[in-house]
Amino acid sequence: MTNMNLYSRGDKLFVIANMVLIGMFAISTLYPFIYIAALSLSSGFEARAGKVLLTPVSFTIEAYQYVLSDPQFWISYKNTFIYTIGGTLMSLLLIIPGAYALSRPQLFGRRFWNLTVAFTMWFNAGLIPFFLNMRDLGLLDSYFGIIIGFAVNGFNIILLRNFFESVPQSFEEAARMDGANEFQVLWKVYIPLSKPAIATIALFCIVSRWNGFFWAMVLLQDEDKIPLQVFLRHTISNLSDDQEFGATLFNAAYSFETVSAAIIVCSIIPVLIVYPLMQKYFEKGILLGGVKE
Amino acid sequence: MSSLTRTQRIWKHLRREWQLYVMLLPTIVWLVVFLYKPMYGLQVAFKDYSIFRGVAASPWIGFEHFETLFGNDQFIRALRNTVIISFYSLLIGFPVPILLALMFNEVLNQTFKKSAQTIVYLPHFISSVIIAGIVITAFSPSAGVVNTVIGWFGLEPIYFLTKPEWFRPIFIGTGIWQEAGFQSIVYLAAIAGVSPTLYESAVIDGASRWQMMWKVTIPSIMTTIIIMLIIRIGNVLEVSFEMIILLYQPATYETADVVNTFIYRQGIQAGQYDFAAAAGLFNAVVAFVLVMTANSLSKRYSRTSLW
Amino acid sequence: MSGVVLNKVVKRYGDIDVVHGIDLHVAEQEFVVLVGPSGCGKSTTLRMIAGLEEISDGTIDIAGREVNEVAPKDRDVAMVFQNYALYPHLDVAENIAFGLRIRRVPKVEIERSVNEVAGILGLTSYLDRKPADLSGGQRQRVAMGRAIVRNPKVFLFDEPLSNLDAQLRTQMRAEIKRLHARLGVTSVYVTHDQVEAMTLADRIVVMSEGRIEQIGTPMELFMNPANRFVASFIGSPPMNQLGATLANEAEGPVATLDDGARIVLPRFEGSADSEGRRVVVGIRPEDVLLEGTDTSDSVPIDVDLIEPLGSEALIHAKVGEHPFVIKTETYGDIAHLSELRKIRINRERVKVFDEEDGRSLFSSVGD
Repeated sequence: MTNMNLYSRGDKLFVIANMVLIGMFAISTLYPFIYIAALSLSSGFEARAGKVLLTPVSFTIEAYQYVLSDPQFWISYKNTFIYTIGGTLMSLLLIIPGAYALSRPQLFGRRFWNLTVAFTMWFNAGLIPFFLNMRDLGLLDSYFGIIIGFAVNGFNIILLRNFFESVPQSFEEAARMDGANEFQVLWKVYIPLSKPAIATIALFCIVSRWNGFFWAMVLLQDEDKIPLQVFLRHTISNLSDDQEFGATLFNAAYSFETVSAAIIVCSIIPVLIVYPLMQKYFEKGILLGGVKE
Repeated sequence: MSSLTRTQRIWKHLRREWQLYVMLLPTIVWLVVFLYKPMYGLQVAFKDYSIFRGVAASPWIGFEHFETLFGNDQFIRALRNTVIISFYSLLIGFPVPILLALMFNEVLNQTFKKSAQTIVYLPHFISSVIIAGIVITAFSPSAGVVNTVIGWFGLEPIYFLTKPEWFRPIFIGTGIWQEAGFQSIVYLAAIAGVSPTLYESAVIDGASRWQMMWKVTIPSIMTTIIIMLIIRIGNVLEVSFEMIILLYQPATYETADVVNTFIYRQGIQAGQYDFAAAAGLFNAVVAFVLVMTANSLSKRYSRTSLW
Repeated sequence: MSGVVLNKVVKRYGDIDVVHGIDLHVAEQEFVVLVGPSGCGKSTTLRMIAGLEEISDGTIDIAGREVNEVAPKDRDVAMVFQNYALYPHLDVAENIAFGLRIRRVPKVEIERSVNEVAGILGLTSYLDRKPADLSGGQRQRVAMGRAIVRNPKVFLFDEPLSNLDAQLRTQMRAEIKRLHARLGVTSVYVTHDQVEAMTLADRIVVMSEGRIEQIGTPMELFMNPANRFVASFIGSPPMNQLGATLANEAEGPVATLDDGARIVLPRFEGSADSEGRRVVVGIRPEDVLLEGTDTSDSVPIDVDLIEPLGSEALIHAKVGEHPFVIKTETYGDIAHLSELRKIRINRERVKVFDEEDGRSLFSSVGD
């Protein structure tokens, strides 16, 4: 099938046209990132004048110096790490044992418990009741609130439950006959056996935590607790809405465009670092989640 | 030993399997505290809610909020915008990942294929704040690359993000740019599941690549396409309002404001919790009906339910 | 005393009994095989002994102690699973040691035990391999090693050879037998393969639909099946069964087959007053004589197909309307078999069963 010589001329043309189209799509996906990177390394003056298209114009790293010298940037960066690591660990802690229990055929009322999980995927009380609930629980403006409040979602539980169900029951039985209790069965047998599925879920959690914005914006007022995304949003909207403030920032070395671009680059870099690792898992993960009960 | 009663059996079972219930407990408690308790809190939609009295003690006022809601021009506008934006996203956005998957399938050079895939999946993993930041920068009137290019043709710069007529194309285009690549994975997986013997027999029958795509690949992934379409229709109210919040401004509300952004402004920003919760309840009930309908439809098509 | 005693053991799912009150006494050091078609309750019975299924009614004693309420890990039994359930993330040594680790056996002792077991099973040079890098037979051995290392009172085997190809199965069968001879641990073994049952068992328990059909040594079961089910299950190819009517004649009881042929039977208890009784005559494929058929008790046949097996051949034939299989030694010479028109039955080996309840009329037999 891969021997080009076996192809008719029409087929060759088709294959080549197809490659060109895909190449164009890939380039148009990539271009905005290149544009932002070029902007972040250009001088404010050239950026303002709309001279930056593909490569830095009047190369300078002043925008980065401006961003990296802002203590608020570092505070929010640290906070994002706290939310990402804490939130992911919390998710795994709550999801893995629950999904394991739900996967066991001997669990009494299994249908009911599974429905309890699945129903949350169909019906959602919405923004306001969730917000009021967080407030009533005293979880506004709290690290713990962000970490615990978004730790579980039905999709991840069901994804992992399906995986556990696909492990032959005899692994549990063999381990129990060997003297293991359920916790040991889970820890010593099922978790090691399910590494790909757990890694997939952990990566989903990491990405959604790293990128999480809306609820952090709503629930956190304290500047010392906001994550990077909220800080980024504040900066961009302050700079672009408030033309006067934007103008004060503007000088020959950097402008709000280059500063925004520099913050964007700084917050994308960690995603780019873990991306190759994620790519190994997410294709599998999507299939794991599959279209099935 | 005689047969046990039901209660005795349950006790015996619990003595044996109590650890499973210990494992299940935290998950269930979490669901109850963070997802089921807000459902109880939905009653504020029928109450004159006061922060000081709390959810339970606030007085009932029946359907008053709903009456106000359907008399509210902004809500009706938000409802209409939700449907319009969803409809166009679906119409334009749905075929793109399928096309991409079909195209990827025709690429013979594996290195090229892998690199292109790596690139087009990437935007899915970038936060909406960053995407919005990129959009805002690229479309900015003075510095943005879009206006620079427009300038080459001698046209006046356009302040895109303040123009209501430009909001929907930009929003929908951004959504496709961000998600189409990632969504193609599902179709690629379906294509990978097509038996190679189908292609081999098509080759022997003298089919061209183009004919194989139409006669073998597309019919083989039709079930997946239909299921994905049903899912999308079921989630039609789930416009990614986070991105809208990041991109819209008062000048573009007339085309950009959707139900969830309306709820956010009325409830969380303006503090009209009861009124906003009523809008949310309406949204949730319609969404629930749509999702359940979609699920039963997909059951009929694929004999597997979505969950 | 480390036998296993089942006393009226019942397994019930909802209102449906899948095991109907089984009584079984496995003696110390005995190797008992539970055999039967799938769904006969043999695996469920084994799993109840293991403690993986709750016992709905009745009692199970292991080594003189009732274990109904005892957790699997505290029953002092070890089990070899059909799919082996080897932990893919652990190497062979760790797999074998898993149970000891969980039980917090001192490290030195674990190492000693693992090495000893590996020596017995010929796994010494594979100890640091992962299960994925082992052949089917080696995995099977690791699974046994994991059971042996715990030094349990009872071994339980759940169709342990069914994942192996035919050749390996024969080889591993012999190894299990040797191992049992060496270790002398009470064993209960489940299989659907009657050859495995015959070759391994001290005693075989034939089960069907949640009931025990017969318990006995392999030879007892082969020579004197208690009923038609056991007769057809033990022996390969299965016993031919033909409908007949009994008559009492001078030479003894005579079965007249529905197709008219007569077979003179040995006398049996109650044969005197069985005139006109409807029976089923059981004739093993081996118990047919092809020579000297010009007698009054020969049976006419129509040969349909010959299957040469090398030293033997199977003749698929018809007696009247009914299929009839004959197994005969040939040493390659099969040309004349298609000429066959008549056979004689080795009357000493013929079995007779009641047509109604299927029980053997030869009452010297039974359980």
